Amino acid sequence: MQQLESIPKYDFHSEIYKDAYSRINAIVIEGEQEACENYVKLAELLPDSQAELDRLSKMESRHKKGFEACGRNLDVIPDLGFAKQFFSQLHGNFQRAATEGKVVTCLLIQALIIECFAIAAYNVYIPVADGFARKITEGVVKDEYTHLNYGETWLKDHFQPSKSELEQANRQNLPLVWKMLNQVAKDALVLGMEKEALVEDFMIQYGEALSNIGFTTGEIMRMSAYGLVSA
Amino acid sequence: MFGLIGHLTSLEHAQSVANELGYPEYADQGLDFWCSAPPQIVDDIQVTSITGQTIYGKYVESCFLPEMLASRRIKAATRKVINAMAHAQKHGIHITALGGFSSIIFENFNLHQFPQVRNVTLEFNRFTTGNTHTAYVICRQVEECSKRLGIDIQKATVAVCGATGDIGSAVCRWLAYRLQVGELLLVARNVERLTALQRDLGKGKIMDLELALPTADVVVWVASMPKGLEIDPTILKQPCLLIDGGYPKNLANQIQHPNVYVLNGGIVEHSLDIDWRIMNIVNMDVPARQLFACFAESMLLEFENWYTNFSWGRNQITLEKMDKIGEVSIKHGFRPLLV
Repeated sequence: MQQLESIPKYDFHSEIYKDAYSRINAIVIEGEQEACENYVKLAELLPDSQAELDRLSKMESRHKKGFEACGRNLDVIPDLGFAKQFFSQLHGNFQRAATEGKVVTCLLIQALIIECFAIAAYNVYIPVADGFARKITEGVVKDEYTHLNYGETWLKDHFQPSKSELEQANRQNLPLVWKMLNQVAKDALVLGMEKEALVEDFMIQYGEALSNIGFTTGEIMRMSAYGLVSA
Repeated sequence: MFGLIGHLTSLEHAQSVANELGYPEYADQGLDFWCSAPPQIVDDIQVTSITGQTIYGKYVESCFLPEMLASRRIKAATRKVINAMAHAQKHGIHITALGGFSSIIFENFNLHQFPQVRNVTLEFNRFTTGNTHTAYVICRQVEECSKRLGIDIQKATVAVCGATGDIGSAVCRWLAYRLQVGELLLVARNVERLTALQRDLGKGKIMDLELALPTADVVVWVASMPKGLEIDPTILKQPCLLIDGGYPKNLANQIQHPNVYVLNGGIVEHSLDIDWRIMNIVNMDVPARQLFACFAESMLLEFENWYTNFSWGRNQITLEKMDKIGEVSIKHGFRPLLV
């Protein structure tokens, strides 16, 4: 049987790498910025958890600074205009839900979908990252698990009354995530991140979160694959 | 708690099973989808020993498919195995058998180099390939079935195809020293490994498959290939006992000849019904009682509280270890499937 190919070496300073990095790095920076704002919004909706959510928000802000440093380290200017556009629909859905006071939908979008996706992407990125970015990303991943945990715990405690809203929010938002992934699949591949690995890691992370909240295996399989094929 | 990591035999099989289990989202999908699919626990299992002891386990479907190897999607294949192992460990399973291609992929691609799976550090002592029990069961099948067919094993020529593999080398050792077969033919692709095996055994004759098949009274097939094998039954000796211990098993369906007896190798029967759904799906003749010996090994380790990777690495299976697993196999009510 053939041997597993060793991880190829990347030329982190090549134009093609830096071009792809300008978009992926921007997405990460914008993602952390929006997460920071989303946790402030959630703190308004959940005053009892204000201290915890403020702490999470500040953490996201630190992550953003770390990823900005990663871009500078490779001499890359992040394409933030692209990133804002990239997140616009999902961000719009979060803001709409927040205005309507839909805490469950907000938590699903930020604390589950976005966090699971970030964790999956960071985990796939770490083995192929440059040394500087690897250290920063490893630190960030450890923190991200705590955010996921906040959302999971809250939704678990309110599972029955939240269940149908979670399913509805999943149907509305997960297909957006697959489309977003397709949009950057080529750039991610230049950085050594394969789409199928990203999807698999996301489904594992998201499935675990849904399981901890209280969904059954059948529900998880349906929810976590929703919209994947048509995307 | 014990665990079994399994997978289905082909994309077509996977689609029909997903449909049967009521997961239409998975049933309609092609190979690309399965390459991204996460592991799932799809069955809870309860097994009672003839000693009266009851244990509990879980079946982890890795979503690996042999087509991934055939189409060289090696990264996907290795991810399936590693992710299923992390899934089992996260669910607190003490000892898990790597069934089907899982242990082969683990070994061939040196996955022990990658113990860190996201936030899980794999503890390899929680896993077993189950190969010791499989090798033991195959050897017992050779012994018992040849007796039933009137083949005198001490005068017989036995060809082991896949002789240098983990199971194959253990089977060769047992055939050479415990059964003292008349002539042992060693068949495999890698000549270097064959020579090393022959040196270790101090016995056996290295031979090509084409030459070995027509001369053997007993053929033990323990090679695993992503695509099945085709054997022309008319070239075989008559009578001939053919034990299909490879994966996937396809010889019994393919070979229909009056004097060629094909037996599914490495399969055990339990004395009591096992409460599970999953063996219906892998097409066992008696789904409540028959199972792969490698799966049974994790059950035996659980019954005995031997929380260790009893079978691990390549060519580490000794006759003493086969004796030890054989003893507890009998004690808890498992017996080799016979013709």
